[in-house]
Amino acid sequence: MARRCTLLALLTFSGSLVAQSPPRATRGAAAIPARATSSPKAESSNPPILVNTSRLPNTVEVSITAAIATLSLQPGVTSEVFAYNGSVPGPTLDVREGDHVIVHFRNNLPEPTTVHWHGIHLPFESDGSPFHPIKPGETHDYEFTVRPGTAGTYWYHPHPDHRTGFAIGKGLFGGIVVRAANDPLPPMADKLIILSDNRFLKDGMIDFPDPMSHHGGVDEENGREGPVLFVNGHVMPTISIRSGETQRWRIVNGSAGRIYRIALPGRSLIQVGSDGGLFEKPVAVKDIVLATGERVEILVRGTDPPGTKTTLQNLPYDRYAPQTRPTDWNTTLDLLTLQTTDEPPMTPVAIPAMLRKIIPLDTTKSTAVRTIVFSQGLINGKTMDMARVDVSSTVGATEIWEIENIVGMDHPFHLHGFQFQVLDRDGVPEPYRAWKDMLNIPKHTSARIIVRYDDYPGKWMFHCHILDHEDHGMMGVLEVK
Amino acid sequence: MTLPTASLSRYLSSLVILVFLAACTAPQSSASFAGAAGSNMQTGQARQDQIARGRFVVITHDCGGCHGGGSNPAANGWLDGVHDTINDVFRIGPFVTRPKNLTPDNATGMGRITERQIFNALRYGLRPEETPDVDITSATPGQGNFPLHPHYLAIPMPWPAWRQMQEQDLWAIAAYLKQGVKPSRNRVQDSDGPPDFWASEYTVAKIGPDPSAPYPTAKEKGGPEK
Repeated sequence: MARRCTLLALLTFSGSLVAQSPPRATRGAAAIPARATSSPKAESSNPPILVNTSRLPNTVEVSITAAIATLSLQPGVTSEVFAYNGSVPGPTLDVREGDHVIVHFRNNLPEPTTVHWHGIHLPFESDGSPFHPIKPGETHDYEFTVRPGTAGTYWYHPHPDHRTGFAIGKGLFGGIVVRAANDPLPPMADKLIILSDNRFLKDGMIDFPDPMSHHGGVDEENGREGPVLFVNGHVMPTISIRSGETQRWRIVNGSAGRIYRIALPGRSLIQVGSDGGLFEKPVAVKDIVLATGERVEILVRGTDPPGTKTTLQNLPYDRYAPQTRPTDWNTTLDLLTLQTTDEPPMTPVAIPAMLRKIIPLDTTKSTAVRTIVFSQGLINGKTMDMARVDVSSTVGATEIWEIENIVGMDHPFHLHGFQFQVLDRDGVPEPYRAWKDMLNIPKHTSARIIVRYDDYPGKWMFHCHILDHEDHGMMGVLEVK
Repeated sequence: MTLPTASLSRYLSSLVILVFLAACTAPQSSASFAGAAGSNMQTGQARQDQIARGRFVVITHDCGGCHGGGSNPAANGWLDGVHDTINDVFRIGPFVTRPKNLTPDNATGMGRITERQIFNALRYGLRPEETPDVDITSATPGQGNFPLHPHYLAIPMPWPAWRQMQEQDLWAIAAYLKQGVKPSRNRVQDSDGPPDFWASEYTVAKIGPDPSAPYPTAKEKGGPEK
């Protein structure tokens, strides 16, 4: 527990200082803050942070090893998992805009893998796509520079050909926090909340059914879901908040197939950001649909009296086709407890009305309109072929993509390498601007996005982020020359 | 499996017509039909002939009996799917099949489905929106581009009989549906089918071999003179 508190306090401390541009020396194990004693007890901890071993300025050098581990994910039983540095989720890559990042990666798994830095704008060779598998026992250095203006919440996970759903389901996922040089939000507790779900056999083994079985068929159709919901690898943890306090929650959907609809009963959520960082202005919403791979940043206020508690819930969301819709889909599930501490209320911090300016991509500059048709397991009627280029373009080009979902199941769209902006959904203009790399395309709807390939030639994947769909070929290749 | 009487009689009448026509119409096939995969690439007069042939096959096989418009291509709702989702649907046990919009509307019909996917649906019973747009050369799952996990059209779509038609007629149906019909926007609610995608219904034991056993079988009489 002591270690937990220290870690939490460290994160809180580090997060608090970011807005004031702390010196580099405060980051790392040496920064044991005085606030450790004031940390609330029974706090759900953020995942550990990757230790930066570089002494160079603006450089983050970390080591990640993927290997088999045995962890107790549920009380009383252990599970054989795949883990980054021995933990599920893996340790967080915590960097700043402008940092040069070097990741020394070792694959100690019995199968090829990659590390995909989901949402990060980086060179093709470091994207960790299926084009660059790392064989068992091999090492690879991923290297990229975090672009200014991209402060936000991202995540990393494997992306091997046909095995992503299995590898993530086995436990390979971790968070990435990119901190801004000048964060418009005031200092506050900064929580990383990685959502995942899983399904287990009685002996604790993670349940991956035979693909030819009925269960395997349903998983293939729906994307594999499990009844056990995890927050940072823990079931129903508690997050403490002081009455009047405001906390910044960065929520990552690390599930293979589950789309969440998160809500705090009886109150609105203040959403301040999405995949590619902050919005222009905070937005009050009743609930948030969080597709697989998608992230949100919300501000949570301690509006309850001291000593009371409430629950972050996952409300029913029907993403399913009738054939395979789970019978219990209409059930509200609990994710975590939000405990208001006994401390006397504090004065709320002021939240700025304007967070940043997002310059809209210019539709008049668009040189191509792409039609991307999602059906069940297919993009434009095809399954993935690594040797095929589905969309060909050039560095600097701006394009509009029309993504149509012609079937009765949601398909979350993900584009590698480039953040995009949503123009409209089913013809309805997007109400506010955001940088996105994930966009859920609900059943029988369409959306238009605009993207500029402003750097980095290469072959970039675009795909459905329901991992079973991706693994069965619901993926294409965008070549930028 | 039980069908309501009205639906059942319509289903059976479709099959009767189908079997009759499969026997009668095949010899009329024009030599202008290429017949091979990719025959949707025809141009000019041959293409027009193909579309006209497709129209004839669609009308005579009563596609409109379920999918809208009956046997009248001038009717409102021609092939654009069910409109009355109370009476014109098939209730099969706990499941409901709602005949789809076959017109080439992008959002609600088959505008985004290729002629080859339509051909594969009629020839192999594979749901076009779940089956890649490829040439299929086998009916064995996992072989010849036949999906390892096939997803079949919902009952009572009578593809087990349709598949016996000459391939050029199936291509002609696809050509007509894509090029000979105006798109009509009618969103048909998705069918509520079982999670096995009807696969258990479509064993060889239940739907017979493809192609059919040589005539005459033990249940038939007549046949070639010996």
